[in-house]
Order: sequence, then structure tokens, then C-alpha cells
Amino acid sequence: MRNARSLIAVCLLEAAIVAWAALPAAGARPGAKPTLIAAVCCAVFGLAKLAASSTAVRATADQDRGLPEGKLFLSAPERMWQQAASALIAVPWPQLLIVAVIGLEALHPPAPWHTAVLGLVLLGYLAALQTAESGARLAMFAVQLPLIAAGIGLAAISVAAAALPASSTGSGSGWLAVLAAVAAILAAALALPV
Amino acid sequence: MNTVAEKTVGLTAGPRRELPITWQLSAHARRLATLAIAGLLFAVITRRAEFAGLAAPALLLLIGYRADRPSAIGAELATGAELMTEGEQGAVLLRLTGLDAAQARVRLRPAPWITGGDAELGADGWYRLPFVPHRWGIRPVGTIDVTMWDRWRLTECRLTVGVPSVTCHPRLAVLDSLVVLSKLPARLGEHTSRHPGEGIEFDGVRDFVPGDRQRRINWPATTRRGTLQLNVFTAERAQNVVVLIDVSTDVGEPGRSSADLAVRAAAGTAMRYLAARDRVAVISFGRKLQWIASATGRRQADRIMNLIMTAGTAAGQPLGGLSALPHSALPPGALVIVFSPLLSLRLVEALRELRERGFAVIVVDVLVAQPSGGAGRNRAITQLARRIWRMEQEAIRFSLRELGIPVVAWDGQAPLDEPLAPYTRRPWLTTELVNR
Repeated sequence: MRNARSLIAVCLLEAAIVAWAALPAAGARPGAKPTLIAAVCCAVFGLAKLAASSTAVRATADQDRGLPEGKLFLSAPERMWQQAASALIAVPWPQLLIVAVIGLEALHPPAPWHTAVLGLVLLGYLAALQTAESGARLAMFAVQLPLIAAGIGLAAISVAAAALPASSTGSGSGWLAVLAAVAAILAAALALPV
Repeated sequence: MNTVAEKTVGLTAGPRRELPITWQLSAHARRLATLAIAGLLFAVITRRAEFAGLAAPALLLLIGYRADRPSAIGAELATGAELMTEGEQGAVLLRLTGLDAAQARVRLRPAPWITGGDAELGADGWYRLPFVPHRWGIRPVGTIDVTMWDRWRLTECRLTVGVPSVTCHPRLAVLDSLVVLSKLPARLGEHTSRHPGEGIEFDGVRDFVPGDRQRRINWPATTRRGTLQLNVFTAERAQNVVVLIDVSTDVGEPGRSSADLAVRAAAGTAMRYLAARDRVAVISFGRKLQWIASATGRRQADRIMNLIMTAGTAAGQPLGGLSALPHSALPPGALVIVFSPLLSLRLVEALRELRERGFAVIVVDVLVAQPSGGAGRNRAITQLARRIWRMEQEAIRFSLRELGIPVVAWDGQAPLDEPLAPYTRRPWLTTELVNR
């Protein structure tokens, strides 16, 4: 039951991050559509992989009750299907989804608060995915709450820095904002006692 | 994708062992790293600081990777019981020590014919992994998968612990009533014989003879007849029983195959006769001939079970006639109960030979599987072959019956009393069979 709830949560969060990154549809640069398709594919395959891994335990147990000796030879379509399935399972779909979603967001006009919301939903997605995979409770993230809070604070500072009007129209102000954000993150990472 | 270090360790039940472990990045950590790197990369490429902010929480969460983790853990394994019976629940116990702040998940990956349950962590720190074997034999239970994480779930390691095999005895077929021969050897036992003796079964009265015990005087009969009358009781004897298991052919669905049924029925029958203080010998007719000399008691029961567990293996003497067996394995005048699918013509010949030597033989047919009906173009030929096969089987059973060897069928579900009922109601007259 808890497994099903985790699966549903992951599914909803995947849909949410893809939809949020794809919005607004207007004003996106060329290449947004293929990236959106890639993100949707990654989400679907990732979900299928997760569902398959959660049912694998039960399937193994059922097989074990049956005849120990299985089929010696598989037909060509069966063999191809097995190879395709194992190749699909081997691909790290969640990682690809993350890259695709951030890329999709980057192809849209700058909207710092929009990116910040995407970051929060992505964090939730990663937590839900970890919960669904390990079968653990969400409470296991309780020890990480201070770090998550610090990270969200830094994200807020970065978003605010990006939202502030640039001091000049040149590219230097953008670089400076990025470098400042990265420096703040690294400083926080080194300073936090873990 | 399984890039996590997986180490296979074979453990036998015993004292605590120290196992070195290797920690690797978990899938969660890899995803966080992807988010952090992608965020920073897009921040630099697009010169948008908000992407750096997107990477911030992931980067901060990854600093937990610096935390200390144990480089070795202690594992202690114990099995609840090494001797089990089909369908009985057992448990493997595992205790992990030295985990510090790490968390562990333990799961039994069962071997074929074993069903595993969910692991439970007891208050004493032992993981209890229940399992149920569904088929007799010396069975490997499977392996225990141990997955450990640090408290941040950024690193994990996996261990596979091999569990020792368990000996699973067959489920005993139910047999309450016994087939008892009319002629029993002169050995004290529990079966009522036709001869007068010191038993408790009343046989009749006779005239008192000086020297008889006075407490056996039947006073009502004495009053009626006017002379001293004495109660006469029947003797109580033990009989020799030979249980013959035919595992030379194993046909049918695993778990309900002819060998499974033969073994369960033989074990149930042998135990029931041993409980009745009879002398029981067992002959296993498989790839080789194995036998145990007749004896009584608990130790004989253990010996029989050990033989049954190895029935069908390559151990034993070469298959030949049963006449080569010594008297201790085939005592003269013994009742021979055969559990067989009657598919081996060698066994059928051996049964004929036994009958000719004067043994009282009864065959319990354990063949429940039928050949498949076939399909397609060959269906008619297959059905014809099936009919011929059935007729041959009927002919074998008919010829045995003609020799005075009753053949009864057992389906493996009902108690053995049902097929054997015609022979358990009264002592079995072997001479009658010879004259048929």
C-alpha cells in the first residue's frame, strides 16, 4: 500500500516538474519541443522502471514456487524483448529527466521565481523517488532538514540576485551574479558542520 | 542498473564473523550530484544565477558524503532448525553488529521450492527471516541480501550471505489402520495373532490343567460346566514389514510427482508400522538399490528417513533382482508394501519374483500424471499412443493381480487408509493369495 502511494507521488511529481518546466509555452527558444519530448520519455521510462523494480520481489517469489527448471531456449522475439527490457532498465532515467527538465527551463525566458519553484519540486521528486525505491519512510529525511533549509535559503538568495536589475547591460553582470551564487553555495557547503 | 558493490559471503551457522564492506555512491546521491552539476552548468552557460540556486540544496545535501562509515560489520547466522518437514515454517536468524549509524535492510532471496517471508527485527537485534520449504529433500534455503545505507542515504553497500541448506523431510501420508498378515513370526508385538498366548485379546475357554494360573479361571463358565474352565487369550506378535519405494521413474508435476507421492507414502507407512512396534525394512529402487535391514525403534525411524532423503541418488548397489538382498532386508514371511508408478518393467519382474518366493506383496500405485493429449496434425497418433500406453499399464496391473498382488491407487491427497481399506479390516490371508 505504502509502495503504491510512493509510486503515485513520484508519478505526480514527475508530471508536475515536466509541466512546470514546459510552461509558459509561448516564448520558448527552438529546441524546447524536442527537449520536452525527451523529458516526457524519461519520465515514462523512469516510472516504468520504478514500478518494475517494486514488483520484482513479488515476481521472484512467485517464480520460486514454480518449476525450478525454466525454459532452456528462448524464441528470437522473446530474447529481443528481454535484451530491450534490460537495456531500458540499465539507463538512469531520473538523471536524464533532471537534465532534460533543467534544459527545458533554460530554453524559456528568464523567470527566477519559476526556476526556484522548479528546484523545490525537483527536490521533492528526488525525496519521493528515494522513498519509493528504498521502501523507507519520509521521516528518514528529518536529519537532513537543516541542510535542506540552508539550501532553500541559498536558492532564495540566488533567485533574488537574479531578479535584481543588472547594474549594466553587458554580460559581466550576469557572470558576477552566477559567480556570487556559486561562491555562496560553496562557502555554505564548507562551513556547515556535518 | 546495479553499480553498487555487491559482495557474496558464504556463512554457516556459528559464531560472529567480521566482514569487510565497500561503500559506494547510492542512486540518490548520483541523482543529487546530477541535479547539482546540471544546475551549475546551466548557470554558467546561460549566465542565470537562479540555476545556481537550483543546485544549492542538492550540493548541500551531498556534503553528508564526508561522514564516517564502518569499514567492516559483524555477521552472525543461526538457523532455527536444520530438520524440517514439507510445509513447516522455519526461520533463519541473522544479527548484524558494528553498523554504527548505518541502516540495514535484510531480505531473504529464496531458492526454488522455498517461500520466504518478510524479515523482522527483534528486540535482541536478531533479524528473523521466516521461510517454508514446499518440497522434501536437502534444500538450499537461498541467500540473504543485506543492503546498508549511511544515515544520509548517500552511500550504500550490499552483501549477499549464503544460508546453509536444510534437510526437509517428506510430509507423512496418513495411515491409521494397518495391513496385518494372518501368519505372524514368533516375536512379541502388538498385533493379535491366531495362536493362543499371553496377550489381552480373549480367544475362548478351555479345561483347567494343573499348573495353569488360577487368576485366569473363568468362574461363570466353571459354574455352568461343572469343571474348572480357564480363559484363553491370543498371542500378540510383531510382523516384519518391508517398504519398497520405486523412485526409478519420476513423472508428473514437481511437488506431486510419482517420486514425491511414493516417498511421502513410504515415510508415512514406515513410521506407522514402527509406532506399532513392528520391524520395518526399507528398500529404495532407484538408479541404484539401497536398503536398510529390518529393525524397530526411533533410531530405525531416523535411518529410514536418511535413506528416503537420498532415494534416487547414485548411491547404493547396482540394480538387479531383489533376490540378491539379504534376509535382514527381506525377512522371510514379511509383508512387502510397494509404492510405485509401475513404469519400470524391472520392478514388475522383481515383484513377480517376490511373489513366487511366497512374500505377501501389495502395490500402491502412485501414478497420478497422464500423458498429454497432443495437438495439431499428430493429435490422432498421440491419442492412439496414449490408448496403447494405457492398455499396457492396465495389462501390467492385471498380470500382477493375477499373481495375487493387489494393486491399489493412491492420489496423494486422501489418507492411505482409503485405498488399503479392503486389506486392513481383517488379517490378510497370504495363503489365499497364493491359491488364486
